Amino acid sequence: MRKTVVALLALLAASCGRTPKPVPEVVSVSAAKLPLTPDDRLWDRAPEHAAKMIPQDLVEPRLLEPTTAEVRVRSFSNSSEIVFRLEWADADRSDRPVPGVMADACAIQIPGKIEKDLPDPQMGQEGKPVQVTYWRADWQAAVDGRGDSIRDLHPNASIDHYPFEAKVLDGDPEARREMERRYAPARALGNLRAGPRAHPVEDLVSSGPGTLAPGPSLGARGSGKHDARKGWSVVIGRKLPQGLEVNQRTHIAFAVWQGTRQEAGARKMRTGWIPLVRRGE
Amino acid sequence: MARVYNWQLGREMSYWYPEARPKRQFAAVFDINKCIACQTCTLACKTTWTSGKGQEYMLWNNVETKPYGSYPLAYDLKLLEMLDSQRWNGRRYDGKTIFESAPAGERVLGWRPGDRDFAYPNTGEDDCAGEVEHGAYLSMAHTSWFFYLARICNHCTYPACLASCPRGSIYKRAEDGIVLVDQGRCRGYQECVKGCPYKKVFYNPMTGTSEKCIACFPKIEQGIQPQCFVNCIGKIRLAGWISPPGQARADNPIDYLVHIRKIALPLFPQFGLEPNVYYIPPVHSPPAFNRQLFGPGVDGAMKAYRNAPNDPELAGLLCLFGSTEMLVNRFRRQGDAVSGFDGNGTEIVRVPLREPVFVRPAFDARNQLVRINCP
Repeated sequence: MRKTVVALLALLAASCGRTPKPVPEVVSVSAAKLPLTPDDRLWDRAPEHAAKMIPQDLVEPRLLEPTTAEVRVRSFSNSSEIVFRLEWADADRSDRPVPGVMADACAIQIPGKIEKDLPDPQMGQEGKPVQVTYWRADWQAAVDGRGDSIRDLHPNASIDHYPFEAKVLDGDPEARREMERRYAPARALGNLRAGPRAHPVEDLVSSGPGTLAPGPSLGARGSGKHDARKGWSVVIGRKLPQGLEVNQRTHIAFAVWQGTRQEAGARKMRTGWIPLVRRGE
Repeated sequence: MARVYNWQLGREMSYWYPEARPKRQFAAVFDINKCIACQTCTLACKTTWTSGKGQEYMLWNNVETKPYGSYPLAYDLKLLEMLDSQRWNGRRYDGKTIFESAPAGERVLGWRPGDRDFAYPNTGEDDCAGEVEHGAYLSMAHTSWFFYLARICNHCTYPACLASCPRGSIYKRAEDGIVLVDQGRCRGYQECVKGCPYKKVFYNPMTGTSEKCIACFPKIEQGIQPQCFVNCIGKIRLAGWISPPGQARADNPIDYLVHIRKIALPLFPQFGLEPNVYYIPPVHSPPAFNRQLFGPGVDGAMKAYRNAPNDPELAGLLCLFGSTEMLVNRFRRQGDAVSGFDGNGTEIVRVPLREPVFVRPAFDARNQLVRINCP
């Protein structure tokens, strides 16, 4: 009798659980309102795909020691946008962009066109570009309110003076901004990654290793949240891939960087191409 | 990897890209014996280029006291240890460069400094090798030694920063050999910071890109020496152009000091980058220590420098250091004077080999006054 009750309770618990079984491909479920935060309860309604990761060991610098074993992915979409939630285990949050420290990050990669002959899964190839949407933990920290100064990274830092903070510029904010730009060449040149950041995600295109560049805006947006026990949970959203109708397939690949393992750029864990299917209601 | 010729090693070596020397190569000679570590060069650079947010710890130019000083901390010792014991065979280097000893999966042998490595820029400052006891400092010759090593980017012929960048964001200008980070393209992977053995590329945490010494190229383009050169109190620096060894010209100041008289030597040539800042080695530090820093040419260079007072051509050229803010393309000594010329052959400076010395008696007989040295 006691065994029967336990079995019934287990069955009841299983049937009440809203988490669908893992699926062999990434299934993007239709939703009128897309979830944009990692802990939105709506994510429980999407099936989860657990993507096995491999080290990037095709081009130097290579990652020779595997780190992140898998990334768990769920997805929702509507007629114009698609969002993904990526989750991976990483006990050590790394979001301070200081010398010698890399930021945790993740990215999704989708072929530029839906076609049978896929681009190389390793950053695409010439004539077959891929679209990359990239999230970084230090950008997330900036969006979440961390200031844009060295004291926000090193609270005890001692700074004598910045030329653009001279009193003579007090009444001329434009002159002040102009002078500040002179000492931040990446910003002066319009390098989109040089901050200050309004979003923790950026749109990129690539036609092979070493060619990653800012791409046309695909409306990249998202947010990430870290839990010391569970690791990172990151939402990445972008425009729906062109031509991806309901019940049609394209492909997707994922990459994850663990900052504390000195992973950045080509030093990363990645997947190969994984089918991505869009489902209707 | 490609095979390239590195004349400083006396042999071919492996490098990530094929040999592509610029039309002309920016180069410099620093006379270590004259440096007083006043850091005026450091300030001149800092106020000109790195006064922004995220650049606080950057010293594109720094002056460290050897044997104990270094910036970032132990940048040289760490790599020497990683490279392990290597050997010169006369002027030929039989050991491995940082390109030839790159571990699997890496482009160069290197290490990445952390923020604490940049926290102590004056470590070892003015510390001499050994203790000074019982008034030893009062007698000559001193038994303990130290010297000041002023450093900028070496604008190497085979830059490790450039080889390390997987994005090709670093380039070497064809017109003058100056090595630059494209600030529009850099994505801040810090591979260059790891790869440069001299640690002269710095990560900017505010812009998320890496930055480095630009050899004041806007000045160079106008025929003017960089800020750290023209502000040098000790007049230890001379900027110019270096030719490959087979094309050296005796009237080119840099060629004369490096190729012809071989008095100016590269810093850590064994790393294999063919650096283009050359040092006249300090004559009062142990030759063995100098050899580790500047290679096998040290003994000859020290001997030639000590003999400079009896060597009018060399003494004359040394007098041109710090004598003009213009780049000196050619020089010529005539009698007791030496002249420097610009690229058009126009004389831009003339200085005597020996400055006239006037000795003013301590007692002013006419006014019956004792002269005192007070401001």
